Amino acid sequence: MTLEFLGDLSTPIMMGILLGGLYALIALGLSLVFGVMKLINVAHGDLVLFSSYFAYAAMTMLGIDPILSLVIGMPLLFVMGFAIQKYLLSRAFAISMEAPLIIAFGISLTLQNFQQIIWSPMSRGLTTSYALVSFGVGGTRVPLAYLLDFIAALIVMFSLREFLSRTYLGKAINAASQDRRAAQLMGINTGRMYALAFAISMATAALAGVFLGLTFPFTPQSGVSFLIIAFGVVIIGGLGSMVGTFIGGMVLGLAQTLGGYFLGCAAQMLIAYGMVLIVLAVRPQGIFGR
Amino acid sequence: MRDIIHRLSGGLLPSAVLIVLLMVLPIVGAPRSWVLYLFLYFVYLTMANMWNLLAGYSGLISLCQPAFIGLAGYTLVICTWMGLPFYLGIIAGAIVAAAFAILISIPVFRLSGIYFAIGTLVIPEALRIVFFLWRPVGGEMHGGGAGYMVKGVTGVSMTEFYWLALVIGIASVFLMRLILRSKLGLGLASIRDNDRTAASCGIDVFKLKLYSFVIGAFVTGIAGAIFYIYQGYIEPTSAFNIRWTMILMLATVIGGMSIEEGPIVGTAVVVFLHFLLARYAGISLLIQGIILVGIMLLAPQGIMGFLRDNRTYRSILQLATKR
Repeated sequence: MTLEFLGDLSTPIMMGILLGGLYALIALGLSLVFGVMKLINVAHGDLVLFSSYFAYAAMTMLGIDPILSLVIGMPLLFVMGFAIQKYLLSRAFAISMEAPLIIAFGISLTLQNFQQIIWSPMSRGLTTSYALVSFGVGGTRVPLAYLLDFIAALIVMFSLREFLSRTYLGKAINAASQDRRAAQLMGINTGRMYALAFAISMATAALAGVFLGLTFPFTPQSGVSFLIIAFGVVIIGGLGSMVGTFIGGMVLGLAQTLGGYFLGCAAQMLIAYGMVLIVLAVRPQGIFGR
Repeated sequence: MRDIIHRLSGGLLPSAVLIVLLMVLPIVGAPRSWVLYLFLYFVYLTMANMWNLLAGYSGLISLCQPAFIGLAGYTLVICTWMGLPFYLGIIAGAIVAAAFAILISIPVFRLSGIYFAIGTLVIPEALRIVFFLWRPVGGEMHGGGAGYMVKGVTGVSMTEFYWLALVIGIASVFLMRLILRSKLGLGLASIRDNDRTAASCGIDVFKLKLYSFVIGAFVTGIAGAIFYIYQGYIEPTSAFNIRWTMILMLATVIGGMSIEEGPIVGTAVVVFLHFLLARYAGISLLIQGIILVGIMLLAPQGIMGFLRDNRTYRSILQLATKR
């Protein structure tokens, strides 16, 4: 009896952990920007979707595989991120605390509408030959796309962590985030470091967008819900910590699939949002935050 | 500097004349579309004023205004379904919105600044799902909860909606003046500028923020309920939509955040934009988004702030007021 119950549970648990990988992948960029410049990039969800749409365009028009299209997509979003930070946000930081947030909100709406004009409000998906493949693990069937999400999230998380703690550039970004003036006195161009951090965050968003498209169908309006998921992940994991973000993704993914298992599909996002609010109320610095 | 602008708009006589003019507008046969745009103007003005109170004066960048609007709208609809008159529904809606503000203040007031903004962003999304799942009255329609019609307002004309909106719009302007000149407003301004200093001067930071949050929710709730009486129909996606936040933010930022007259001017611009862009519904958000970014970068203080700092305007103003 109990074993049967557990056997049933193994599917949502497995799916939750792997889904958490996708959530973590989306949230890593948000977490990086947050950690470095204390900005919650409200446009993150829409920039992730922009990458999904870019891959979609590459796939339908040129027949390029979505993962392969990242060769163009990642540099494109990298440059976009650099430009957004350099020409829009850096000026806003000089104005007030709220200005960057409002500008990011404006970017989000602009992108959302732009995507709606170009690609119509209909639901799209990156349906490749391997997106629908699933394989069996111990009696449960797992879609390959979920596994790819998880692997991609692991790779991005570890490479970001190593980049930030081991390379000169990463250390400089860290320094600029910890104390801007002291970093400047040490000869670090903090403005450029901020732009670089934003650009890297956008490159991870490009990656996240493609894997999102492989996993779920998306519409121009999905940006907000994925932003909220990503924010929930960052909140649960503790702001600015890469490993925390990754674990936060697992927690949220599990909450969603287990919530769906016990309370029905329609309520699953409600469980996730509820969890974010509870974590905010009990431990605003996040479960793994300092 | 500020009192100059006050003196311009401050005279009781011109504003009284203006109010009377606005009141008789639908009776003397102004085109229906004008009345509609003015109705929207006053509804948005009320919401923008409250957002200005929260974001501009209390340092609470609240992105959960759609939650108050939607909750008030739903309360109104439920009241009308239970056979209560709609004005009771408006008041009940505002009370529910305010009560909800108190409830969510427990988690979200532990956050400050930008954390607060994103914490509040979650709330309308969560409520949207709740109202998709939960159908409070009227039984199942077509598979689960969805939209409702507002009952018992068929006999009410557009003119009456317009008056309701006018009253709440003007009341919100006066409420802002009142709050800003009271101890509450001064306390809020000091919290916004530096909350630690304010606390050490004996200001109860939590209490004052809560007051302004609840007042903001209450008044926004009234405006939201009035909007849904006019709309006659409510459904979760549009009620808890981020589009509301966009309108309030745009109106306040274009006019000038932390400036009392900001929303009055900004809302006029926003409604005018709606009017202009009505034919290009497809790209209207795109244009509004670009305007929002542009204004923030070029004139972060908004139109009123720009005028306030403009020397020519000041000298004209001085000439005008001297006479």
